[in-house]
Amino acid sequence: MSGLFLLLLALPLGTAVASALLGSGRAVAVRWLSLASSLASLLLATILSVQFAAARLDQTPTDAKSPSTFPDEWIKFSTRANLLPLHTTANGTVDSAIQFYVGIDGLNVWLILLTALLMVSSVLVSWTAITERVNEFHAWLFVLQLGMTGVFASFDIVLFYAFFELTLVPLFFLIGIWGGPQRQYAARKFFIYTLTGSLVTLLGIVALALTLPQIESQRDPTRTPLLTFAIPELIAKVDALNNKLPKDVQELEQAPPDFEPQLLKERRERLDSWRRVQMWVFLAMMCGFAVKVPMVPVHTWLPLAHVEAPTAGSVLLAGVLLKLGTYGFLRLCVPLAPDASLRIGAPLLGGLAVVGILYGAFCALAQDDVKKLVAYSSVSHLGYCMLGLFALNEVGMTGSLMQMINHGLSTGALFLLVGMLYERYHTRKMADYGGMGSRLHLLAVFMVFITMSSVGLPGLNGFLGEWLVISGMYDFTGTQVRGTLLAGLGAVGVVLGAWYMLTMVRQIFFGPLKEPHHEGHGVIGDLNGRELATLLPLAVLCLALGVYPKPFFKAVSPEIRVLAGIADAARRRAAAEHSPVPPRDIRQAATATEKK
Amino acid sequence: MNPNLVTALTGYLPYLVPEMLLGAAACVLFLGGTWRANRHLWGGVALVSLAMAALALSLNPLPHYQSASIADASRYASPVMLDRLALLLRAVSLAGGVLLVLLCWDSMPENRAAEYHACLLLMVAGMGLCAAANELVTLFLALELTSIPTYLVLYLGKSAAPDGGLDAAGQEAAMKYFLLSIFSSALTLFGFSYLYGMAGTTNLPGLADAFRRASDLTAASEPTLPSPLMGMGMVALVMVVAGLGFRLTAVPFHFYAPDVYQGTTTANAAVLAFVPKVAGFAALVRVLGFVLPNLSHEVFTATLSRPILREQLPILLWIIAAVTMTLGNLLGLLQDNLRRLLAYSSVAHAGYMLIGLAAAPRLLDAFDAPVDGVDAVFFYLVTYGAMTLGAFGVLQYLSSSGQKAETVDDLAGLSRTRPGLALVMVLFLFSLIGIPFTAGFMGKFLLFAGALDVPPSQEATFWPPDQRTLFVGLALLAALNAAIGGWYYLRIAAVMYLRDPSPLAVAADGKRSWPTLAAVCLCGALTLGIGVNPDPLKRAVQSAVPRLTDMVSVSAVER
Repeated sequence: MSGLFLLLLALPLGTAVASALLGSGRAVAVRWLSLASSLASLLLATILSVQFAAARLDQTPTDAKSPSTFPDEWIKFSTRANLLPLHTTANGTVDSAIQFYVGIDGLNVWLILLTALLMVSSVLVSWTAITERVNEFHAWLFVLQLGMTGVFASFDIVLFYAFFELTLVPLFFLIGIWGGPQRQYAARKFFIYTLTGSLVTLLGIVALALTLPQIESQRDPTRTPLLTFAIPELIAKVDALNNKLPKDVQELEQAPPDFEPQLLKERRERLDSWRRVQMWVFLAMMCGFAVKVPMVPVHTWLPLAHVEAPTAGSVLLAGVLLKLGTYGFLRLCVPLAPDASLRIGAPLLGGLAVVGILYGAFCALAQDDVKKLVAYSSVSHLGYCMLGLFALNEVGMTGSLMQMINHGLSTGALFLLVGMLYERYHTRKMADYGGMGSRLHLLAVFMVFITMSSVGLPGLNGFLGEWLVISGMYDFTGTQVRGTLLAGLGAVGVVLGAWYMLTMVRQIFFGPLKEPHHEGHGVIGDLNGRELATLLPLAVLCLALGVYPKPFFKAVSPEIRVLAGIADAARRRAAAEHSPVPPRDIRQAATATEKK
Repeated sequence: MNPNLVTALTGYLPYLVPEMLLGAAACVLFLGGTWRANRHLWGGVALVSLAMAALALSLNPLPHYQSASIADASRYASPVMLDRLALLLRAVSLAGGVLLVLLCWDSMPENRAAEYHACLLLMVAGMGLCAAANELVTLFLALELTSIPTYLVLYLGKSAAPDGGLDAAGQEAAMKYFLLSIFSSALTLFGFSYLYGMAGTTNLPGLADAFRRASDLTAASEPTLPSPLMGMGMVALVMVVAGLGFRLTAVPFHFYAPDVYQGTTTANAAVLAFVPKVAGFAALVRVLGFVLPNLSHEVFTATLSRPILREQLPILLWIIAAVTMTLGNLLGLLQDNLRRLLAYSSVAHAGYMLIGLAAAPRLLDAFDAPVDGVDAVFFYLVTYGAMTLGAFGVLQYLSSSGQKAETVDDLAGLSRTRPGLALVMVLFLFSLIGIPFTAGFMGKFLLFAGALDVPPSQEATFWPPDQRTLFVGLALLAALNAAIGGWYYLRIAAVMYLRDPSPLAVAADGKRSWPTLAAVCLCGALTLGIGVNPDPLKRAVQSAVPRLTDMVSVSAVER
């Protein structure tokens, strides 16, 4: 099990080194090697995810009684080894360390599969598009795969961060060397934006891991709490503190009035400082992930990077890399700072998500460049992921996760199609095209199909995701009104999405034939076998997810339920705080005035 | 005379054989240079003597005292402290010496090779002694042993002018460094004199002991601190930090760095980026009492020295660190000359390292801190050495093979003309940025962890509000600085990979400097190796630095 899994990380690394060493002369060999390696990765990922999903399908759903304990699969499908021991006990055993802790669970299983799938498409689409420095291109592509798979698979928070930043390096070169005319600027802007954000994320991550033992030891000086960077353990610790610290305060508040006021003050201060820590940790983590998603005020790197990137880069950027941000929120922010997620995250990020949905949609409407249109549609679609995620309930988070996969499939396919069109006519201006449906039949068929998936036609995958996200917003317990408003605005975004996508399809593929100037570009033909092989799996999956999503839901539901349980606990705590029972010192003051 | 004292006063000599060997080899080189001018011969001799010194060090690493009383006597009488930190830093300076000899191989005119390498050997010996110094006078002499050869090296390296002499920029660089270095030595000495005046001894553990005993006395007689002593202590602290700050290129003592780096040769700039930093940090850590076995904790908690070392020192270093990294990175953004850019980069990295020292006294209160501040500094120092020497090595290799490598634009399209070299350079640049799986990331991670682990202040200080907030702020500033730094390092990477080579660069493919290439490869292996598997270095550093926090428990047990 773990051997197969490690191979999934080792294979891209080996391929990257091998294709770098093959030299720039042997382009064909490099291409075939890359295809073989990416197919092998896909096979591995398929085996792993099928095994995983099969195990989940057999399970009968159980009620999540203890919400903080994750299902056993986290242990069964994972492998860990010490990377950098930080503390050793007297007898020499390592008791806290940065670990190489990777594995599969419901949150990442489909994303890992998606990564492997899009890698195959990326290799295929670069077959003729990339003619210069072919070996370097594929080397960076596989380093990127290593980074992406690593982020999804990491169960150690520092390892997660390490892979998260590792993805910057290959993409910087992919955009910078093989990109469009403004590639240098785009590559550097992308790199610096993401680097700045993620460095702050690093601080948040490290601060959380370091603060937890401090607070634990303050609470209970008899125990010596361990420093840990493993995400499951951190989640359990955070959950325990979230439960215990308010209880400590309540215990004393309900005690007789003159019972240890000093202790009460101390406990209140501890609770307050823990809340502050959570808030800052959340904000710090948010910086990196929000840039990566991208949320609206910090999204400006994305359209530029997309437009300048080569097709394979765009596909992976849209299909996988943007999910690193939403995945980070799901994997780290929500379980590690649930109170802050509820208090700040839901209103702030939920609001920004809706702004992103609408703003991205309007920007997409205004574009003349097809690639830019798809790029802005990504901003809009990622808004749904964020909206569902910060609904902080089971439905919303499931929808968000599904929307991540959907967006990867449909936008990945859209970028592939745009790339194929561009390869034929060397223009991306929509005004240059018209009635291409009669010229390129298959391409048009795929484009229409993928567009339908992207705009959320019932029966295809996009519909389910969007529907879940929006319905998640309706039972947004606690903040009813805003939930409805956000859901309504999100639904407007769906309409806008249909508008700009269908406009694009009509402009390019329908109406009177208007072919761009294409002399010297060779014979323009319809999709060839390689291109069909690139697109077909994505299209089939779009349909499959739309009509039979059960394996998907079954596989993700245990973890999502745990996350929802954590969020619910945070909601209960927030509600308890506004409870009518007055704290003790207020009662004390009241009795004092009565006596007078 | 007490026989223990005799042992203490003489017993250390066998352990200084590596430094003596280096000194002797330097003499041979100085004399031999008059007899024959051959860079390969003298470079080889330098390498052999470094290897012999390393052998001597490995044969006789740590002293074994027969009894505790002898150990105690040596601590208070011996001019050198032969602890694990000294061992580590001597090993590091020997390794750095090998890298520098290889890197500088082809940088000087043939007839000056012997003198040049002799100077390098003396610097290595000086760094080693600095790391081992147990006494203010020894420390000062060791510092001078690193700086005086540096003045020579600055004159020896340049050969651009037809007569082999210095051009105007080179002369300016050498002169500027000379004058400012003398000035900083004077400042350091001034601070040392105050320390001597207060304690009546130049021995570092003795100094610490004097402070402790004075504290006991004052605590017994009167609760308030004698303010003149406090004032003297502050003067000493500021002067020592200022004097050593010059060697660390800490702002505001960094002014020489960009001019000197730009004015002199690439190889000399590499020397300047490495040697004074190692010596400076070793000296700072020794003088400020971070690494006194069994005494550090008491120094930091004694009534008399506590306000200075525990409360003022972190603030002072906090300010210097914040200003140093910010200014270094911001000015780095504006540079076009590669050496000048790397000069500002080395300023910025000094700032990062100072975070560790600033946080260290505050980490005394931390619960089970995973890093100690001081160990993070030395970890970073090693990684900094590897990546900076590597970057300079690439530039040196280019210029010695006839390609111009003065400005950023000169590197355009390097990935096309020399793909391997460009890849290694990118590795160094990404390590300098702090990208994961390179040494720079682990270094930054440990420094950040130290700063983020600073606990909230338990006692109310007059300024600032809370230590924790302060140091989290510093870590945040460092993170933002790393991002700013990312921009100019990335600019070099972008030029190498994203631009087409200029026709000049393609044409210039002269001889290859194999030794420099070897140095670059070694640095690259180190950068990648530490990044992927940081554990060995972390262990080495951790065992070398006596942990302040561990000493709490030790002293508690002793009582």
